[in-house]
Formats: sequence, C-alpha cells, structure tokens
Amino acid sequence: MNTPTLAPSPTAEHQTAAGAADAPWTCPFCSLLCDGFSLQDGDPPRLIGSDCPRALKSLDAFVRPPKAVTPTIDGVTATLDAALDAAAARLAKARLPLFGGLATDVSGMRQLYRLANARGAVFDHAHGDALMHTLRPLQDRGQLFSTLAEIRSRADLVICIGTDAANYPEFFRRIAPAADGGLQRRTVFVGAQPPAQAIDRSSVGRVTGQGDLFDTVATLAALVDQRRLPDAAPELIELANAIRAARYCVLVWEPAQLPEHGALITEAMLRLAMSFNRSTRGGMFALSGVDGLQTANAAMSWLSGLPLRSRVGPQGLEHQPLQFATARLLANNAVDLLLWVASFGTHLPPPSASMPRIVLGHPMLAPHCAGGDTVFIPVATPGINADGHLLRADSVVALPLHAIREEGLPGVADIAHALATRLARAAKATR
Amino acid sequence: MSTIRLRGGRIYDPTNGIDGEVRDIGMRDGRIVELHPQEKVDHDYDLSGCIVMAGGIDLHTHIGGGKVNLARMMLPEDHRARRERDTLLELASSGCCTPGTLETGYRYAEMGYTAAFEPAMLAANARQAHMEMGDTPILDHGAYVMLGNEEVFLEMLARGEDFERVRDYVGWSINASKAMGVKVVNPGGISAFKFNQRKLDVDENHVHWQVTPRRVVHTLARALRELGVPHPLHIHASNLGVAGNIESTLATIDALEGLPGHLTHIQFHTYGTEGPKKFSSATRQLIEKLKGAPNVSIDVGQIIFGQTVTASGDTMRQFANADLGNPRKYVGGDIECDAGCGVVPFRYREQSYVNALQWAIGLEIFLRMDDPWRVVLTTDHPNGGPFTSYPHLIKLLMDKSFRDEQLARLHPDVAAMADLREIGRELSLYDIAIMTRAGPAKLLGLSDRGQLGVGAAADIAVYREQSDREAMFATPEYVFKDGSLVARRGRLEAVPTGGTHFIEPEYDPAIEKTLERHYRQHLSIDWRHAKISKDELCSCSNHGSLLPCKLHGGGRT
Repeated sequence: MNTPTLAPSPTAEHQTAAGAADAPWTCPFCSLLCDGFSLQDGDPPRLIGSDCPRALKSLDAFVRPPKAVTPTIDGVTATLDAALDAAAARLAKARLPLFGGLATDVSGMRQLYRLANARGAVFDHAHGDALMHTLRPLQDRGQLFSTLAEIRSRADLVICIGTDAANYPEFFRRIAPAADGGLQRRTVFVGAQPPAQAIDRSSVGRVTGQGDLFDTVATLAALVDQRRLPDAAPELIELANAIRAARYCVLVWEPAQLPEHGALITEAMLRLAMSFNRSTRGGMFALSGVDGLQTANAAMSWLSGLPLRSRVGPQGLEHQPLQFATARLLANNAVDLLLWVASFGTHLPPPSASMPRIVLGHPMLAPHCAGGDTVFIPVATPGINADGHLLRADSVVALPLHAIREEGLPGVADIAHALATRLARAAKATR
Repeated sequence: MSTIRLRGGRIYDPTNGIDGEVRDIGMRDGRIVELHPQEKVDHDYDLSGCIVMAGGIDLHTHIGGGKVNLARMMLPEDHRARRERDTLLELASSGCCTPGTLETGYRYAEMGYTAAFEPAMLAANARQAHMEMGDTPILDHGAYVMLGNEEVFLEMLARGEDFERVRDYVGWSINASKAMGVKVVNPGGISAFKFNQRKLDVDENHVHWQVTPRRVVHTLARALRELGVPHPLHIHASNLGVAGNIESTLATIDALEGLPGHLTHIQFHTYGTEGPKKFSSATRQLIEKLKGAPNVSIDVGQIIFGQTVTASGDTMRQFANADLGNPRKYVGGDIECDAGCGVVPFRYREQSYVNALQWAIGLEIFLRMDDPWRVVLTTDHPNGGPFTSYPHLIKLLMDKSFRDEQLARLHPDVAAMADLREIGRELSLYDIAIMTRAGPAKLLGLSDRGQLGVGAAADIAVYREQSDREAMFATPEYVFKDGSLVARRGRLEAVPTGGTHFIEPEYDPAIEKTLERHYRQHLSIDWRHAKISKDELCSCSNHGSLLPCKLHGGGRT
C-alpha cells in the first residue's frame, strides 16, 4: 500500500479499446476537439465529413512507415528497455530537468507529474508563451468565458479580434446557429480580414481599428463605458453601440497571434467584457490550447495547485510565468536536461539544446533526434493509435479520444511510468 | 489482508447508538469484523485514552471540477507557503483555500476524513470532475450533478412535458454523468442570467422560459424521490447572500411540499433585513420552519475569518458580488447551455459587520438546531473557508468560553447584539460524530459508511482525548481507510487511490431520442459522447474502485 502512485497502471488507457468501435472519433489536432466527423484507417487515415485543412495536414504524419521506428540512443538504434535505462540514467544525473513540449493527454500528464516528483523538474508547454497571454491576466484580473454551445445558441454578435480563426478551420461551423433556431448573428473582424468562406457574407463586418490592437480594444472599452472620446473612429463608435445593443456578445481572440505584450491586450478585452456585462450579456472565447496545452495546464493545476511554468522541487513548488519559459531556460542553460514530449505529430520537433535530451515523440520525429546526447522513444498518438482524454479550448469539456488502429507503440504515460519505476528502483538501491 | 484490533478506545458510533462506551473494534479485509477477545491478530493497537469514530464524511466540499481548477490558476498567491512533505509518500502539491487535488486528499486524510463529495458537477464538465476526484488520493468520492438550469430541462417544463419524461431525463443525467445525487443551484437563475435577468425570486418567472424556481425545485425533488435516489435534492436556494433572503429560503422549503430536500450552505441563505444596517440574523425563523419540516436537512457553510475564494455555479449572484473580490479578480463563465461558473476571491474580516454576523449566524444554526441528524458540519469549502478549519469550527461548537473569546473580537455591534451570546449549548462528541460522519452517511444513503458496526467499511479515525478540541481533531492518532493505516499523528502512512460512489437509477431510454435531438440542434459534442461509461469512469477516476450505491426501495419499478 505504501506507494505514492497516481495510478496503478497507466497501460489500460493506451490500448485500443475494442468497446469504442461505435464511439465517434475525436480529432486531437486542435483544441476544438471536433467529434462530429469520422476517420477511416489508411495511410494516411481518411477524414470523412470534413475538409478541415488542419486535420488533413496533421493526418499526413500517420502514414505507416515501411519498418517500425525503434528507439535510439544518441542516434543508434536501441531496444525500448535499453532506451529506458539510458533515459533513466540521464534523468538521475540531472539536477534540474525541464519537462517541455508536453503535447500529451491527461494520463500522460498524470504520469509525467509523478516522474517530475522523483527528480524535480520545471514544466512548460511548447505553446507556453501563448498560454501566458491568458494565464497572467487570469492571475491579475480574472477571466470571462463562454463555450461553444453557448455561442452557438445565444451569440447575436461575435467579434473576432486580431484573428480570422484560420488556424481553427472548423470554428465557424462549430458555432453556427441551428438552422431553425431563428438566431440572427453578426460577425465582425477587428484588425483582421474576414475569411473567404465559412460564414454568411451578408452578416460579416470588418473594422480596421485605431492604432494597434491594444489601442483599439482600449478605445472600444472606453466607448462601451460611454466615455467621451472626441477622436474615436466612427467604425469603433458604431461597434461599441452594437455591443451595447447586442443580447449576447462574444469576443474571440487567438493568444498565439498576439505580440509580446499580448497579456495586456487580453486584459483590455477582459475590461471590455466586464464592462458590457454590466448592462447586457456575453463572454470571451480564446482560440487556444492546441497540442494538449489546455490539458497539460489543467492537469498540472489540479495535481499541484499551480499552473504551468511551475517547478516541482525538493523545497516544494514554485511558479514563475516568465522565468520558466522554455526558450529562456535553454538559452541560459538554467536547466541541465530537456525531456521533450510531442505525441500529436511531427510539427513540434525538440529544440536544439546544449544538454542531454530525452524525446518522447511521434515516430517521424526520429530524424530530429539523431544527434548526440539524445534518447528518442517513439510514442503513440491519442486519437490515432491510443485512447486518451483531452480538454477542449474552453477548458470545460473533456472528451475521450479513441484509437482507430493499434501499432504497438507505448503511450507517454507508459514511458513516464517506466522511467519513474526505474528511478525509484535506483534510489532504493542507493539507500 | 491483515487482521487488526483496536483495543480499549472510547467509541462514538451514533448509527449504532453507542455514546462513549469502551469497546474493541476488529478489522479484516477492509471491513469491520467481530473478533473473539483471544483471537490472534496481525496488529494490535492500544487505544486507551483515545476516542474512536468512523472516518469523516464531507458531503459538500468543492474539491474537483473546472471552477475549482480556475480558482487554483487564478490564485498563485495561495500556493506560496511551503510545507515539508514526506517525499516517499507525498507528491508535491500546495494551496490552502485552493489546494491541489493531492494536497486535498492528504490533508483531509490526516484530519480523519475518508470521504468527500463534490456538490457541483456540471454535466458538461463531469469527466474533468471525475479526473480531479480520482487524483484526490485516499478519499472515496462522488459528486452531485447540477440540474435545473439546463435549457433542455427548462424547455421541458416550459412546454409542459409530462412529469414522467422529465423524471426520465433526471435519471438519464445521473447515469450519464456518474453522479451520486442532484444539486440545483439558484433554480433557473443561472440560465436566467444568460438572458440578462439579474434577480429571480422563488415565485418569479424566468424571463425567457416563464418557469419559476418553485417549479424547478419541486419537479427535481419529486423526480429524485420517484427514482429512489437516496440523497435528497441538494439545494443552493435563490438569492444567495442577499439581505432578506430568508423569505426565499422559507419559500423554497414550502416548494418541496414535504418531499426530501437538503438546503446547503444555509448560513448564506438565513439573512433578515432588520437593524440599522438592514442586515440581520434570521436563524430563529429558519429553525422554527425546520422544526415543522422533517423532510429538510441542511449543512451550514460556516464562514471562517481570513482569506478564501468563493467558487459557485451561481453566476447571477457571483457576478453581482464581483466588485467585492479581495484580491479584486473575477472569473465568470456561461457553460454549454448547461450551467455556469463564477469565482470571486474573498477575505472574511472580523471587523466587518456583515462578515461577523455571517459567522455568528452559522454558529447559531448549528447550536439551535435540535436534531443533529439533519445538520451537517461544512464550511462549503472553500466558499466559507477551507476544510482545514474544521477542527477550529468543532472547538467553537464544543467550547462556550472559546466561542465567547472569539465573539468578543468581532465588530462591536455584532459582539454586543448577536443572539449567539445567549446560547450556552456546547455540542458533545456524540453530536460531532453525527454531524461529521453518521449524519452525512445517512443523508447519502451510504449504509455501510459513517458507522462502526460489523460489516461496515473499516474507515476509522482515532483521536487522542484532549481538552483542546481543535488540537484533538486536527491530528488524529490513527486514521484507517478500508482497514489500512493511512495516517498517524499527522503523517501519512499510505496513499491508496479512493473509490467513486455513484448511483444508477432506472429510466425509460425513450428519452434519449429527445436528448439526441437536443444535442444535435443546440450543443457542441456528439450525442454518443454524452454518457460516461463505467470503463471510462474507471480511467477518469484513476482506476479506483467503483462503488455503486443502492437505490431507495430498489428504485422505480
């Protein structure tokens, strides 16, 4: 009984669930987690019911290789056991490892957290910078949010600020009002071009803005507050009036597209949303959270009490939203090992680093891991060849992911569990 | 599994009518067993000088789910304090009013609690809630699914759907979300707020659906009784925190028309409008009403002075209080045509007239309630204060002189005028055992928990008798979970994974056609993902035991 495990065995989640045969497929390739279309096995798997360019591009990474990809140690082919031994030995030597990438599912994070406790580690996600554009305003001021079904049913005014949502190709379909629902909606793009397709053009507006995005949002907030701004652009005055007249207005933005001071822009949007909610209703929706970002941050927060960019150290936990950025830690050699997790595809190769690297990644990341001092272990992808769970962009809905095929690859959770077991064994031997 | 004897402890086991008798207790295979005095055992604990109770059960504590997690992310300042941890057993976790799930499990267990129930699980967020509870070690857990604000339910009432169909929907929802009961929060009010309605009294119509909270409460309570759900409808009544809300509270009790109902964090709903500040205690009115309403149970939601955070589904009321945030931050969300979420950090101050009176009202309710089986000890963690303040609360209830000392420190008007001054009652250990174990177990329908009879689950807390009740209840001598020692004098001994309590009421599956249509037209996930299977529950809840609970009367037949 004396084991501090988070889970008795992580393997169950990573086997193909025979019982999931009639379950819908959940797309893991963006944080909208679309489950309204299906996937047929093939090389690459064939998407049915959608032409989402993001999903199609992501699926190209799932052409089965002619020969199974094996783990490598410093570029040399190795067995899984040998790779685990090597990775555990390098982890055991590290004084402060960085667990980066974190493109994994709930069970992956559960086991990585346990592994981090064995050695101490800093956690940051590949999209940590985008996360900080929403997390820091949350910590300073708060957050107002709405979810896909609310927007779909209620929003008569959607304002896309600085984004055309092209990186989330199914977004406008997901929030489209029911055909017979009688909801009339206007969609306005502020500081962004409306997309050519996806929305009924007759209900689309475009506002150039005034100054940069921050100025534009701040001006809009002041106008909604009915403050007198003699130099306000007429189109912003008109938009502010539309917000005040709307029944339910939603501000949509894409944190990853924001400049370095993105947190301030998010905060200005929050001020705007708080302001109009005093007389009418509405919320905000962040197009964010891809590659398991939402999941990693949520799981880290519930397990430890603190969100990402936190360190699990011998003295307890420490949260540093700026200092614990992957790029900064690597550039300053502030960490001495990088454990990089990228299970959803080939688009997150491990950053080069002047320190040992352990990469738990999609098999096609192997070429990025052929250099010295790198242990590479190919892992399964939840939603393709493993089951799993992810949290959606709104951080409310968690959905199951279903494997469409079995390829015998271990999941991130399996590898993290195996590493933790090896470290525990080694620690016991030295006691 | 080993056999254990607990020898010579003084037993408080209200379920079996045992009030401080010295007896031995045996445990084997996770259960309490009868042991012959000469029978050989693997472990023999000498409990002379100790008192023995069943493990504590918290039936209302916000331990898992989206809004709690947002509160954690929002308050990094709550996580700065570092405590030494046992690195062999504990994983790092932190926080006081917004503890991580690991911290939650460790601290509850060290305090002698062995089960905790999340009262506000949104159907849309049920998977995450089960994940967080599954990552709350040691404790068994379960959750009440929030109903009464989903558009599909309100629409059914609005179009005058047959009650049987509504009942089927409630049964389906409990099954789909793997819940242990149903909670209604500001009946209809969360939805009404989405339509920009800022206030909703018990007999006022929802601005869009033209349905009253009275009807919502009655319909849900009736559905639960007919489905055989043991836990009464868990009710967060209308007008939380509003001066004069006693009227809504009494009207909500009337709305039940004798059906079982549990009014939660009742302290926040027991306010009058008397006095110069137009804010007064309405405890007497409440207690008078409860005397004539044996169908109603309550938990208190005692406030504790200091920093905390309020996290609630009641967006209508939380948004109204957003400006009172301390520190000044606010999280609000409208969620999936289902419910909502509002988070406001709050600091209860002794020198605030309102806060001091809230404190006094909570204690008055505990002390004036003549039936301890119908009042459960809670702080509505973290809304009134963190659960770690339970030992302090117990001392306030058991020690009149300590209570008076605390009262003297409060806002002078409250210190001088509160009814609390006149109440001499000190609760007994037997009362405390009812309010923290036997009572909640009974209200949840957990017949083999919260008690020490043969056959019950061997969840046991052993406290060293001390006159300082706070110290005594803060650090039990031993805590056993399913017959294994999990904590000893404030240190963990083992960290098993807890199990999930849930119920499976029967319903006519024909309702699924209506729901499937609703999902397609209005919601954002595939209908086939609406339901959590047992296999999926197992994976979400971290592979702990599944503990299906018996329905009353075998359920609907």
